[in-house]
Amino acid sequence: MRRNKKWISLIACLMVFILALSACTAADTSESTDPAPQETQEQGDATQTSDTEPDAGEPVTITYCNFNASGGNEETLQKMYEAFHEQYPNITVEIETIGFDDYFTQMQTRVAGGTAPDCYELNIENFAAYANRGVLAEITGVDLSGIDETALNAFNVDGKQYGLPGNFSNVVLFYNKDLFDQAGIDYPTADWTQEDVQAAAEAIRALGEDIYGYYQPITYNEFYKVAAQYGGSLLNEDKTAFTINSPENLEAAQMMVDRVLVSNVQPTEVQMGGMGDWDLFMSGRLGMMPTGIWTFTTFADGCDFAWDVVVEPGADQKATAFFSNACVINADSENKEAAATWITWLTSSPEASALRIEAGWDLPAVNDEAVLAPYLDITLPENRQAVFDSLDYLVLPPVIEDYSMMSDIIGQKLSAAASGSMTVQEALDEAQSECEAQIPLS
Amino acid sequence: MTLKRKGSTLLYYAVAIAVAIVALVPFVWMVSTSLKSRGALMSIPIEWIPEEPTLDAYRTVFERFPFLRTVGNSLFISVTYTLITLLSASMAAFAFAKIRFRGSGVLLGLYLATMMIPTQVTMIPLFVVMNQIGLINHYSSVILPSIFRPFAVFMLVQQMRTIPGDYLDAARVDGASTFRIYRQVMLPLCAPTLATLAVTTFMESWNDYLWPLLMLTDRTKMTLPIALSTLNGQYNTEYNVLMAGSLISMIPIVLIYVFAQKYFQNGIIAGGIKG
Amino acid sequence: MVPKTKRVKHRRSQEGLLHAFPFLLPSLLGLLVFSALPLVISAFISLTDWNGLDELLAPGMFQEHFVGLDNYKNIFASKEFWQVLRNTCYYIVLYIPLMLITSLAVAQLLAKKRRGVTVFRVIYYIPVLTSWVAASLIWKSVLSPQYGALNNLLALVGIEGPGWLLDETWAMPAIVLVSVWKDMGFFGLILLSGMVSINPSYYEAASLDGAGAWSKFFRITLPLMSPVIFYVLIVSLINAFQLFPQIMIMTDGGPNGATQVMVERIYKYGFRYYRMGYASAFSWILFVIIMICTFIQMKCQKRWVNYDT
Repeated sequence: MRRNKKWISLIACLMVFILALSACTAADTSESTDPAPQETQEQGDATQTSDTEPDAGEPVTITYCNFNASGGNEETLQKMYEAFHEQYPNITVEIETIGFDDYFTQMQTRVAGGTAPDCYELNIENFAAYANRGVLAEITGVDLSGIDETALNAFNVDGKQYGLPGNFSNVVLFYNKDLFDQAGIDYPTADWTQEDVQAAAEAIRALGEDIYGYYQPITYNEFYKVAAQYGGSLLNEDKTAFTINSPENLEAAQMMVDRVLVSNVQPTEVQMGGMGDWDLFMSGRLGMMPTGIWTFTTFADGCDFAWDVVVEPGADQKATAFFSNACVINADSENKEAAATWITWLTSSPEASALRIEAGWDLPAVNDEAVLAPYLDITLPENRQAVFDSLDYLVLPPVIEDYSMMSDIIGQKLSAAASGSMTVQEALDEAQSECEAQIPLS
Repeated sequence: MTLKRKGSTLLYYAVAIAVAIVALVPFVWMVSTSLKSRGALMSIPIEWIPEEPTLDAYRTVFERFPFLRTVGNSLFISVTYTLITLLSASMAAFAFAKIRFRGSGVLLGLYLATMMIPTQVTMIPLFVVMNQIGLINHYSSVILPSIFRPFAVFMLVQQMRTIPGDYLDAARVDGASTFRIYRQVMLPLCAPTLATLAVTTFMESWNDYLWPLLMLTDRTKMTLPIALSTLNGQYNTEYNVLMAGSLISMIPIVLIYVFAQKYFQNGIIAGGIKG
Repeated sequence: MVPKTKRVKHRRSQEGLLHAFPFLLPSLLGLLVFSALPLVISAFISLTDWNGLDELLAPGMFQEHFVGLDNYKNIFASKEFWQVLRNTCYYIVLYIPLMLITSLAVAQLLAKKRRGVTVFRVIYYIPVLTSWVAASLIWKSVLSPQYGALNNLLALVGIEGPGWLLDETWAMPAIVLVSVWKDMGFFGLILLSGMVSINPSYYEAASLDGAGAWSKFFRITLPLMSPVIFYVLIVSLINAFQLFPQIMIMTDGGPNGATQVMVERIYKYGFRYYRMGYASAFSWILFVIIMICTFIQMKCQKRWVNYDT
C-alpha cells in the first residue's frame, strides 16, 4: 500500500510540473498571439493623431515572414512598417525575419502544416514550386501600376499575378581601377565583349601570382546568362524540352571553363580556397567580376582602392542577370485583403522605396524614375547609371516547377567541368540526360 | 624509478597538450577571424594575428538582435529540457535495467529503434501533430519532446546494468519500495552518468536550431541559434560577423560547463569509488 | 494445464510490468506522440507523390497522391542511391575506428589523477559544446587550402596540404576529421565515466601480478568497459548514418557529389525539390538499414560485452 502511495505522489508531481509548464507558456502566448485588446488601444491612439486617414476598417493583424532583411536590413524593414502603420493604423503587421539558410525548410513545413503566415517572401527558385502547387493566392484588388513590368512578369503564372517583386537587383561588371592602372590598360566600357574582357584579364593576371583578372563563378546562375549572350538557352521556347547541350551553350560554358583551366585568369576552386568572391575583390587582388548591385554598400565601406561598375560584357548579344524576390499571399489566409495592401505598399509605395534606396538595400521594383533618382546621387560607385542601362538587356531565369533540381544538376556538372574532372561536352551531355530523366516538363 | 616516472609524466603532458592544441586551434582561428575586417579575410599571406584588429563584427552582432532576451529564452528552454530528460530517462532506464517484466526486451528495442529515425522525415508529420495539439509557438513545444530521449535512456540502461544486483537486493531486504530503491540507491549510484548526461543534453538543447525555428515563430521567443542565423544574408556570408556571433553564443555554455565541471568531477570520482 | 513453476513465473512477470509501468509512463507517452505517430504518418507519405507543400491533413490527400511502392522501386533503380550509400559507408568505415581510438585516448588521458587534468577535461570538451553550425563554419575556413589555418601550418613543416573540402578525394576524409574532432570529447567523456567506475582493486591485483600498463589496459580496462564501448559503438553508428549538418554547411554534397550522403539527399528531395513522398521512402530505407546494422550489433554483443562486473 505504501508503495502505491509513492507512485501516486510521483505521478502527481510530474503532472503538476507539466501543468505548471503549460500554464506558464499558455499565459505567455496569450499575450503575444492575441494582441487584440492591446491593438484596439493602439489603433485608438493612432486614429486620434491621423484622423484624416480614410482606411478605418476593422483592425486586423497579419503576419509577414521574410529572409531578405536578414544580414543587416531588419531595422530598415521595421522603419518601413512603422511608416505603413501610420497610414493604415488598422493593419498591424507582425514581422518575422529568418536567416536565408533554413528559411525555405521552415516555410514549407508551415505551409504543409496549414499554419503559413498571411504573407511571406519567396525567392525566384522557390516561387515557381509554390505558385504551381496552388498554395498562393492570386493578388487582386490592388493598384500595381507603379511596379516595374519586367519584374512583375517574373511572378506571373498563366496570366495570374501570384507575387509582387519586393526588391530587385541586377548584375553589373565591377572592376578595380587601381589594377587597371597598374596594368596600363583602359577601363572597361559598356560595349565590351567577352574577348575584350579576356585580353584585359590576362594583362591583370600578369601583374602577380596572386592577382587574378576575372571572377565569374561557374555556376548555374552565371551559365544561363552567358549562354544567352551566345544565343543559347536551357529550354526550348515553349519550355517543353531541355536544350542544355546545344552548340551555343557549349561555346559559352567552354569559354567560362577555359578562363579557369587554360588561361587561369580566373582562380580555380582550390585557388579560391572556399572563400567568397566579394572577399577576393575586397582584398584588392581581383581585376573584374560581374556581381549583383547588392554589394555596393559593402564595397563602398570595405574597399581601400578605386573601383567602379559598368554594364556587363556580352558576346553575340548582351544579357544581364536579374534577381528578384516575390512577396506572396498565403492561399489560406483569412486576411488576404490586408495582406495585399501591405505587400503592395511595401513593394511600390514611394515611402518604402525611399527608405530602401536610403539604406542601399537593393532597388525597389518601381517604374517612377523620380523615386529612383536619389539612387543616382549616392556617390559610390560613380557610374550608377550602369545599373539602369543594364535593365535593357535583362534575361529572366527559365522558371519551371522543378527549378531547384534543374539548377542543382546543371551546377554540379558545371563545377565538375571547372575542376577538370570531365570535359565541358561531357558535363553538358550528362546534365541534359539527367534533367530529362528526372524532370518532367509539361 | 624516479627517472622512469619523470619520463612518463613528460610523455603524459606532451600527449595531453598536443590533443589540447588540436582541440583549440580552430577556436584561435575563430577569434582571429572575428577581429578582422572584411578586406583582411583573404589577405596573402594570411594574418594569424590581425594587423588592424577591429571590434566591428561584435558591434554588428549586438546591433542586430536583442542579446539578453534570446539568451534568457535559450537558458529557460535548455534548463527545463535537461531536467525533464534526466527525470524521465532515468525512470525508464531503471525499469528496463532493474525490473523484470514481460516485453522488456521488445520495448527497449522499440525505444532504440526510434533513435534510428532520420529527423528530417518525421519533421513535417511531427509539425502537424504539434499543430493539432495546439503547441505551436509555446515554449513547451520545444521542451516537451524531452520526455522521450532514447539516447539518454539507452545510456543510463547501460550504466545501471553494470551496478551489481546486491545493492538492490540489500535495499529490498530492508523493505524499501521500488521507488525508494530508484531514488535512494539507483540515482546516487548513477551520478556520474547523470552528470555527463546533464551536460550533453543541455548542450544539445542549447545548440538545437531547426526544431525551435519551426516551432517558435514569435520573435520574442527566439533562441540564440535562431538569432545567429539571421546574421546570414541571402547573397552574403560575413565570416567575421558569423564568427563573432558564434563565439558569443558559446560563452554561456562554456561558462556553465566550467562551473559544472567541479561537481561533474566529484560525481565521477565518487561514482568510481562506489561502483 | 500449465506446469506450476511456469505459472508462478508468469504471474511474477506480470507483477513486474505493474512495477515498471509507472516508471515508463512519461517516456512511453513521448514515444507515442513524438515518435511513433509521426513515423506512421511518414510511412503513409512514402507511398504517395506528395510534394510537401499541399496541406497534409486536407481530405482526400492520400487517395489523390497514392502511388503504391513506386518511390521505393525508383530509389533502388537509381544509380544515385547506390552511390550515396557507398559514400555513407565510406564515411562510417573511416569515422568509427578513428573516433573510437581517439576517444579512448582522451578517456585514458583524463582518467589519470594528474595536475591540470581538470583543465584538459574542459579543453577537450569545448569542441563538443560548439554547435555543428559554428563548428562547420570554423572548419570550412580552417580547411581553406589557401587562406586556412591548416594548410598554412602544414606549409611550415614543408607539406603542401591538399584542397580538402574542395577536392573530390579529400572532401570525405576532411569531413571525417572534423567529425572526430567534434565528437572525441563527447565519447571520450562517456568512456571515461565507464573507466572510472572500474573497481581499483582489479588494478591493484594486476599490479601485484606484475602486469604492465598496456596489459592492464587490454586485460582489465577494455573488458570491464565493454558495456560503455558497446553504447558508444551503437550511438556513433546511428549518428554516422545520419551525418548531415556538417555536410550541408561545409560542402553541400560537393565537390561533384563526393560527399552526398543519405540524409543530405533526403533533405534535398524533401525540402528543395519538393518530392516529399520520395524523400520519405528514402528515409524509410535508411531507417531499415540502420535497424539491421544495430540488430546485428545487438546480436553480436553477447560475444564480447561483459555485464555485471
